[in-house]
Amino acid sequence: MSDLFLFHLAGLLLLGLGFYGLARRRSLVGMLIALELLLNGAGLSVAASCQLGGGDPVAGQLTSLLIMGLAAAEATLVVAIILVVTLRAGDSNIDSVSELKG
Amino acid sequence: MNSAAHIVYVFHLLVILAGGLVATRAVQKDRALVGLITAMFGVAGMYLLMNAPYLALMQLMIYAGAVGVLIFFAVMFTRPAQGQEERGRYLKRPLMAVAAGLLPAATLAAGAFLFIRQAKAQAPEIPVVQLGAGLLGRYALAFELISVVLFAAMAGGVLLGFERRRRR
Repeated sequence: MSDLFLFHLAGLLLLGLGFYGLARRRSLVGMLIALELLLNGAGLSVAASCQLGGGDPVAGQLTSLLIMGLAAAEATLVVAIILVVTLRAGDSNIDSVSELKG
Repeated sequence: MNSAAHIVYVFHLLVILAGGLVATRAVQKDRALVGLITAMFGVAGMYLLMNAPYLALMQLMIYAGAVGVLIFFAVMFTRPAQGQEERGRYLKRPLMAVAAGLLPAATLAAGAFLFIRQAKAQAPEIPVVQLGAGLLGRYALAFELISVVLFAAMAGGVLLGFERRRRR
């Protein structure tokens, strides 16, 4: 078993935990936490592929950095959405925002 | 990796697993956040193991620092009175959640096991100067675009936060 496969296993563990959390959680904050796990796994896999595979290590590390930046931007927006949903619906449970008016 | 590195790898993997399980299963949101930060520390350890100390530092600063504080704010905004926000009829379907997590991960793991044929024994250590040259040279557009995305996200966040106040 190569080192690259071992690092990919860690990334896939994060991917599986992220999907599990997304399917299990009913609150927006819980889903955001699961999404961060997913993005962590993506960054780890990209970095491992370029560090230990045949890719350019500089490109791999910078792509991983960009994924971190995207995760920060996504977290900022989701926190704002959670704030609005909480102010309008009273809580951040997705059941309270899944029905349309009318 | 030598045998000592394998032991460190298993330790970090266990940290990721424990943190991830707490992050996805804890009833209280603040405990889930602590689990997420623990998993992020495990991932930082993985970056150190693959000879990428700059990435490990950024992982701690961006994820465990900035994103952790952001999610903490979200937890504070939405704290329920009894802390029982995750209990409900949906928790009676844990098998579907396990399948949602296990199926893609197992499929991709099988693909990686079958198709990864060659890998370097030792990861190269890239000096930070080289990463900086990449950010300001070949990948300058991506670097600028991510700052635009961050600015748009933060401006959108502020606008969304002000919207309700304006209506009152």
